[in-house]
Amino acid sequence: MASVEPIAKERDRLLHRSARVVGLGSTIVALLSFSVPGVLPLASYLATLPLFLVMAFALYRMGIGRSLLWVILGLASGLAILVVAQIPNGHSETTALADAMVPLAGAALGAFAMVLASTVPRLLVLVVGAAIAVTLVQFASPHPEELSRQAVSVAVGWALAGILGYWLGASVPRAARKIFSIGRAHRAERQASETEAQRRQGARLLHDTVLATLTLLAHSGFGVTASALQQQAGDDARLLRQLRLGASPVPQSSGSYNLEQTEESILGTTLESVKQRFGRMGLEVSWHGTGQVLLPSDVLDAFLLALAECLENVRRHAGVTDAHVTITDDETTVRAMVTDAGVGFDLKDIDEARLGFKDSVVGRLQEVGGNARLFSSPGSGTTVVLEVPK
Amino acid sequence: MTEMSQPEENTLGVIVGRRRSHGGVPAASTAAHAMRQASTAGASLGTGYLGIGAGVIAGVQALFGIGLFVWNVGAYPSLAPIVVSWFIYIASLIGVGVTLATRGERMSGLLFGAFLVAQACVVALDFVAIWPLHNVGQFATASVSVGFGLLVAVTLRRASEMLIATGLLGAAFVAAILLTTPLTSETLPSQFGILALAVLPPAFGVYVVQRFRRVVQLELDRVLVQSTISAPRFAVGMLASEELARLDLAAEDLLDSVATGKTKLPLSPKIASTAASLATELRLHLIEGRRETWLYHAITESEQLGKGVTLSDPGSLAGLLDPHQRDGLLAAVWLLVSAKGKVPSTAQLTLGPIKSSVEDASAHTVTVPIVITTTGVPRNRVDPTTWNAIGKAGRFIDSTQNSSLRVEIECVVANPANQ
Repeated sequence: MASVEPIAKERDRLLHRSARVVGLGSTIVALLSFSVPGVLPLASYLATLPLFLVMAFALYRMGIGRSLLWVILGLASGLAILVVAQIPNGHSETTALADAMVPLAGAALGAFAMVLASTVPRLLVLVVGAAIAVTLVQFASPHPEELSRQAVSVAVGWALAGILGYWLGASVPRAARKIFSIGRAHRAERQASETEAQRRQGARLLHDTVLATLTLLAHSGFGVTASALQQQAGDDARLLRQLRLGASPVPQSSGSYNLEQTEESILGTTLESVKQRFGRMGLEVSWHGTGQVLLPSDVLDAFLLALAECLENVRRHAGVTDAHVTITDDETTVRAMVTDAGVGFDLKDIDEARLGFKDSVVGRLQEVGGNARLFSSPGSGTTVVLEVPK
Repeated sequence: MTEMSQPEENTLGVIVGRRRSHGGVPAASTAAHAMRQASTAGASLGTGYLGIGAGVIAGVQALFGIGLFVWNVGAYPSLAPIVVSWFIYIASLIGVGVTLATRGERMSGLLFGAFLVAQACVVALDFVAIWPLHNVGQFATASVSVGFGLLVAVTLRRASEMLIATGLLGAAFVAAILLTTPLTSETLPSQFGILALAVLPPAFGVYVVQRFRRVVQLELDRVLVQSTISAPRFAVGMLASEELARLDLAAEDLLDSVATGKTKLPLSPKIASTAASLATELRLHLIEGRRETWLYHAITESEQLGKGVTLSDPGSLAGLLDPHQRDGLLAAVWLLVSAKGKVPSTAQLTLGPIKSSVEDASAHTVTVPIVITTTGVPRNRVDPTTWNAIGKAGRFIDSTQNSSLRVEIECVVANPANQ
């Protein structure tokens, strides 16, 4: 769908359709003028009628296709009317005939100029057509030797129609260029909105707590103290604001009211959002093992934060672009093993605190009754085992 | 938080409120802005240049009119009214031109009103000048130019206003002709001519501008929809994305007003039900699998495609097509449904199921069969460029079904199992 071809077609269709309307409208006026009794002898008048029909048909067909054929047929039949109309008289005493010819010669035939103001061959047809039309009208005036008002009117009619056609034709590509740049902006906008939607959908933990709070509000906060609900609403609103401003906030807790027992989340779907977040930052995370583990939300929070922290360490320090997370569970424990094939390090050389490991990983897990263990040696990658109780 | 409102629409297909963003794009986007620009009266997308053209035509015609006046100058019993008339006409054209150039392409009601009053004066003075000559058709000059003068407003004012002004002009001419000119076979043709010359140009102008706007809107629709061809295999789409952001904001507002105590607890039933519907919609938006293929988004977001195209793609196979194939398929469908015929054209797209053979199990490519069945598209009315477009998507066989085109395309795409 190249941008040039369809718009050129649209432009031509616009020109031809417009010329058809102008031409047919003017033809009606021309026919009315010819029909005034006394302007033409009856025989001449009747002779022009079939030509009017041919011309109207040509105008109609011109509006459908882009062929020059109908233009030429229409012009020929119109000019033939001008000839037939003045055959018997030879010479007229009044301006009535010339006046009656002006709508036909200047406007109905001039309409063809709208589709002729483009290429050289078409311009040639335009000039020839205009010259013949002006000449024929000039002959119909009482004093053919003096330039008549009617002949000048016809010439002006052709000129105006030509200008209109040229200008209309030039306006379309100009508009198309503008539209094209709007389209480019729109493409960028679409990509941005997609990323934004994915970021919002990825903020699952946040939305879980927001949904819980909204549901509580929908039940008018039944069974929860007003101050606890207000507190929770404030926390959630703050997190939503952070989300809106571009951060990916994760709620630290789901509040102090009795949501903990009922609000359990499936691990798999939340893991996917973590994976996507790291994928965007250049670390490809592969998941292995079960995703169908239900955890109380405070445990899930701690588990995910610890996991994210480990992956962040891999991203920053390991020097590799992929990491593996294996999730296993038994009756009492959910276990995640984060491994990478990166540079590794000697546990003795690196203070665990420097990696933030003690605070952000071990500390968090211990709060919910879990634990973390770290295995590494230089050159052979790193493995972290995270455990939380079910 | 009493102003907390119901969501006006949800992207699950139900329009709750009256707001509906134009052409399937988010109301706040550049595209929607462009859509509004292109479709409102006085729209400027691409019509600015057209307006200048109208000015040029009015100018050329005014020169001719002045020429005619000079030609007839000996016939006037009194020159004052006609000279003043021409002066007002030229001044009003220049005035409008200068205002548009300095104030931007907008014509306020005040400016339009003043312009019309000036034109009325022009017509009145011209008629006063030629009244004693008893032949409006032969001597009217400035008053005829008014019809062309109205063209300068044609891109900036409503079609109905233009047509009313044109009608008034026509009525003035008819009245003047009937009152002053003896109608004989000698004078009548030029009266028809002058009436047509006064009335038809603005009427044609209105028509041309309407058609031009239609072209611009179609093109805009096409270009906007084209942005889907670079979308990932599955996408949320712009409407759903905007909707999610809006729901998040509504939730934030509600929670915030609860937290700050602006909304008192326990909640009134109305706000409680707002919270419930917010939660429901938010939950539905967060469910995985609400993502659709680019083709689905293209069809739902486009005014032109949305009218006539139905899609059946249970396996979401459209997402597998590469941008080149998408481009071809979209162009083909576009051309098929925009074909002008007696009955509106429709197209039904069916994708899949994937053809697989035993030895191909580990092949790098798979074939997605696409069947396009149409109604109201006779084979001989198909635009020739359609075949090129279909060819971009893949090898195809065309046939006729119920006297309308049917195309089967074999679209070869990268095997998703290898990705």
